[in-house]
Amino acid sequence: MSVFQKTGPLSVLHAFIDASRWRVSPENDAPARTGMISLYVLETGGCEGCAMEVESLCGSAFALERYGFRRVADPADADWLLVTGAMSRACVQMLDRVWKAMPPGKSLVAVGACAIDGGLFGAGYATLGGLKALTQVRKTIPGCPPSAQDILSGMQRLAGR
Amino acid sequence: MSEMGRIIRGGERVALSHYSLDAEQWEAMLAAPGATLSLLSCWADEHRVYVLLLEGDCPLIASTTMEERRYLAPSSRFPAAEWGERVAYDLWGVEAMSASGDGQPALDEGVWEATWPLSSRPGPGGQAARPVAGRTVLPAEKSGLTGPLELSFDVVRGKVQGVSVNAGLAHRGVLHRMIGLTPEESLPLVSRMTAGGFVAHPLAFCRAVAQARGLQPGPGVRDCWMILLEIERMSVHLFDMARTARSVDAGLLATHCEHAREAIASACAEQGISRRLTDLVRCDGFRVGLEIVPLAQAVVSAMQPRMAQLRELQSVFAPRLKGLAVLSPAQAREFAVGGLVGRASGRSLDVRRREAGMRLDALRSTGSSEGDGAARDALRLTEIRDSLALIQRILGSIGMDDDEPAPEATQEGIGVAEGARGDIWYWVRLRNGKIDAVQARDPSVSLLSVLPAVLQGETPERLPAALRSLALSPSGVAM
Ligand code: SF4
Repeated sequence: MSVFQKTGPLSVLHAFIDASRWRVSPENDAPARTGMISLYVLETGGCEGCAMEVESLCGSAFALERYGFRRVADPADADWLLVTGAMSRACVQMLDRVWKAMPPGKSLVAVGACAIDGGLFGAGYATLGGLKALTQVRKTIPGCPPSAQDILSGMQRLAGR
Repeated sequence: MSEMGRIIRGGERVALSHYSLDAEQWEAMLAAPGATLSLLSCWADEHRVYVLLLEGDCPLIASTTMEERRYLAPSSRFPAAEWGERVAYDLWGVEAMSASGDGQPALDEGVWEATWPLSSRPGPGGQAARPVAGRTVLPAEKSGLTGPLELSFDVVRGKVQGVSVNAGLAHRGVLHRMIGLTPEESLPLVSRMTAGGFVAHPLAFCRAVAQARGLQPGPGVRDCWMILLEIERMSVHLFDMARTARSVDAGLLATHCEHAREAIASACAEQGISRRLTDLVRCDGFRVGLEIVPLAQAVVSAMQPRMAQLRELQSVFAPRLKGLAVLSPAQAREFAVGGLVGRASGRSLDVRRREAGMRLDALRSTGSSEGDGAARDALRLTEIRDSLALIQRILGSIGMDDDEPAPEATQEGIGVAEGARGDIWYWVRLRNGKIDAVQARDPSVSLLSVLPAVLQGETPERLPAALRSLALSPSGVAM
């Protein structure tokens, strides 16, 4: 059965070849984009479910760049801040730090129910109840958690693509 | 029976495995000669302090009443108790006397609306403060984890020393929100405790609730739960392997892990359930309409053909994880680190082995004593192999074992599930069908106390890889 049972010296080469074959998201319907939107991801005190979905989206199972998005490791390079989690009070400083480090023209995107309005956790002594407690958030992607594909579709919608 | 166990059993039995001790017995327990039982969790409210211990593979709870909001610190005997003591202080303002540890806040960063928010006498907020001046900080957004966790440390000759962990940033007060709800009403909260345990957390909770109600899930439910747990184990192990691989530039291994994980998610979606198995476990069994046999078969078909290649890639890149974040067998024992991390450090605890109906012959992994990133990764893959074998063994005889006898209903129960990242424990006390008290223990908590020792000597650049390899989950720690 196919190349997957191949082991030994050539296996790494086969692994290279197989890597693209395993990809689950369809690439054919995505025209290559040049105007990349750079994403910085921040988890602010949820269950990490949304953050793990964003991780999956940014991994190799999805062709994120083909849809005109890329993840960056430094907020100074980012256009959009993807926020997941229920916005714990203890995370506000971190959000502020990252937001201030982003260049002008930046956007805030709430990913998942928690980031939008606190979701299941709501507001309490330790949580603010999502980004809406801090600012008006126009860009939202609902779900608990939204799947990686939902997040990608949501971002395309928000980018007007 | 150990001397410590004997002293605990000398207290008043208030539930199946829970003994209430007076102040003298509590002190004697903490000073008991002989072996120290493994501490799983320590917690307190305004009136009582509790420890959940493991005697052999059986849980045992000891508790005692507070005296003027103070108690003799369990950490004087069990070092891993200090996290629970600090949490209790932050939430309730109760003080542990003779505590070990630095007494830093666990959860309260000085930004809450109130100090001791759950206490009957909360104070104004903004009291706590964490001194970090002059130290190097790995900020929460750069830890490499999927949740917020901050480290501060000194760098001496390029190496990390004297690590302090700020693990409370993700605190949401979930357990407190469950009080007064029925178990069924609180299940959605439990089901979002931490994403590495979308199955394991509600499963441990439902087992605790069943014990409190004097119920025993039948073999059909039991086997369905076991299969869901194994599917989750494979998915989370693949996630943790991929994330660790990315941080040591092993992109090819990461790619294959990510694709395999996606294949599992797609198999779940094709069977009409959520890709990450959310909201499937119910107190009385599982979601209506879940067809466990075709689901299990689809997942096995998706994973089985990938195993040889994953193993090959894992061994190719293993040298990059050699010597990363070493947890010695002695540390694993002392801090009762369980789960995969503990098993990679010579601790054999796997609570699946004590479950009724477990097909023990499928669990062939023998662990490792190397305790480093390479050992953990190799073990993750071995456990995926075992998960596949276990699912197939269960499918061969699903729901066929005899029913276990139901426990006596005491309105108090302990439940456990061996999640992908370790043993998850719940303790619940019901009153008039509602939750009167609840405690959860995520395996990441057992890593907290030992983390400074494990990270000592790493270079600052390797810290994200180290944390990923340990698969610490801030949401599970802070709750
Ligand atoms: S929206 Fe749901 S999945 Fe996302 S962080 Fe919140 S509870 Fe978790």
